[in-house]
Amino acid sequence: MPLKLLAALSVRNLFRHKRRNLMLLIAIVVAVAGVVVTNGLIRGMQFDMREAAVANLTGHIKVLAPGYLDDPNIEKSFELAPGWQPDVPDAELEGWAARIRIPAVIMSERETRGVQFVGVDPTQENISFLGDVDIVGEGISDAEDGRVLIGVELARQLETDVGRRLVLITQGLDGRNREAGFRIAGLYDAEGTALEKQFVFTGVTALQNMVEAPVVTEVSIKLTDELKEGQVKNSLSGFFSTLDVKNWQELEPQAAAMFIYVDSAILIWFLVIMGALIFGLVNTLITAVMERIKEFGMLRAVGMKSSSVIVQVVLESTVIMLVGVALGVAVGWLLATQWLGDGIDLSQWAQGVEMAGMRSVLTPLILLEDIVLVTGLSLFFGVLAALYPAWRAIKIKPLEALRR
Amino acid sequence: MSDLVVRCQSISRTYQDDTVPVRALVDVDFEVARGEFVSLAGPSGSGKSTLLNVIGGLDRPDEGSVEVDGVLLNDLSESELSDLRLEKMGFVFQAYNLIPVLSALENVEFTMQLQGVSSAERHSRSAAMLEELGLTGMADRRPGEMSGGQQQRVAVARAVVTHPVLLLADEPSANLDSKTTEELLKLLQRLNEDHGVTIVTATHDPLVMSYAKRQVRLRDGEIIEDSALQAA
Repeated sequence: MPLKLLAALSVRNLFRHKRRNLMLLIAIVVAVAGVVVTNGLIRGMQFDMREAAVANLTGHIKVLAPGYLDDPNIEKSFELAPGWQPDVPDAELEGWAARIRIPAVIMSERETRGVQFVGVDPTQENISFLGDVDIVGEGISDAEDGRVLIGVELARQLETDVGRRLVLITQGLDGRNREAGFRIAGLYDAEGTALEKQFVFTGVTALQNMVEAPVVTEVSIKLTDELKEGQVKNSLSGFFSTLDVKNWQELEPQAAAMFIYVDSAILIWFLVIMGALIFGLVNTLITAVMERIKEFGMLRAVGMKSSSVIVQVVLESTVIMLVGVALGVAVGWLLATQWLGDGIDLSQWAQGVEMAGMRSVLTPLILLEDIVLVTGLSLFFGVLAALYPAWRAIKIKPLEALRR
Repeated sequence: MSDLVVRCQSISRTYQDDTVPVRALVDVDFEVARGEFVSLAGPSGSGKSTLLNVIGGLDRPDEGSVEVDGVLLNDLSESELSDLRLEKMGFVFQAYNLIPVLSALENVEFTMQLQGVSSAERHSRSAAMLEELGLTGMADRRPGEMSGGQQQRVAVARAVVTHPVLLLADEPSANLDSKTTEELLKLLQRLNEDHGVTIVTATHDPLVMSYAKRQVRLRDGEIIEDSALQAA
């Protein structure tokens, strides 16, 4: 089959009807650019939700005492051997943190609230949201620090402020209540108010002293490469054979389900857009074929095979699709990275955004695999769209075509 | 190799025109020897174009057999007919039917490209053919930039550059003025006499008939006169 000849014919034929093919090209560029930008925004939302879920004191993997998830209290705790380190190569480990996280009642002079009281080593908390929140006043200085860091929203509800004292009541390992006063070191300003209302932080050693037990309730591990998660989880399960080792998908099932759903949503969205585009492409190609039916008749009369006619029509579609996809991807990438590069401010819908587990600024995320998907499927659809017009081109016998 | 290029035996072809059957060919026997220049003449509907199309494998007879250069066309598939047309036949159509996006030179090269002839050979043979037909200055022009006569000469060049066994021309002068027609006929005559190309043309133009060595007249799908038989 003379592919070089067919390719040359296909390219030149595209220039026979410049305006019509230009309109088609623009439609492809707009559709592909639109898909790239919307995919980028959806991906941005997807990874934002995952990052928020992981950063929400979860990590990629967490070690917990059995039953803690159903009834989180100090009785579901465990001792961590001094000097313990996760058996993960440094290059694969972003960080890890051991914490006590137990329910408590917090009281100011005016208000009382139920909270999660979390003992942390602040030097380990670069893996959670605590590592990059804005703080008014001071943060927790080290594991021994006996002051508390509370959220801005909780401070507003308790009608208190930095430097004031609060009382926290929680249960000790012996089942008896422990009560202690804490001075507020600072107020943290997290993305949304849910975290600010929920978590009160102090030094992990200080909290261990309060509950009179050298225990932790969780070890959270964040990896640099999420793909290593299964391997690390298996390794930890072997080491902590009496404890539960869970990944973020098990700990945040809603976010994990959304993550999978978004993959499907991207594909469905792409198919809807390309489906609409295909009608235009088929229509244009049929018009182009029917206009040249006599020419196709001549080509076959002088000896061109039906298969070559099919290839010629398919090549015409593929060439225009290829150019359209290349331009569309470039335009989409520019729009996503330059025009929307700083993200879209969703703060006016803060409540809804927070409920969806997202941050207030949505930044597009362009993944190479999405570009490959868009390019590959577009070309596939380009070929698919050409098959019917090509079939029309060879269905008419050469003699009938020549008589037209 | 047989001296016959075309052998049609008892061929019949009937078309369905709406609900009325039209008998385009009725039990026709027709042979063409190598090197002949034959004109098929007759009024519209006489069956001359149908006979030409059947010989060219573009149409199939309902009855009878057709052989071209010893190959029986009746049993060939569409794909095999394509190959046969490519290898053994050249076509000149009434409406030139050049490829508008290709230059004159590229149009002449076209069938050789389908045959898989090398680029260098294609180019030299096409350029030589255009020169022989007086189209050297037209090599880079596209069909839309040429006159009807020039386009038809390019079409002839495309048809004969592959050295076909048989050149089929359907009303080659229909869109040409008499002067251009005469130039075209002299060209066909030269190809026939100097290069031995076997030519069968369907026409109702007396000028075309006058250049052919043998005139065959058809009416209502039957051969009513054949100058070769009369001479015998």
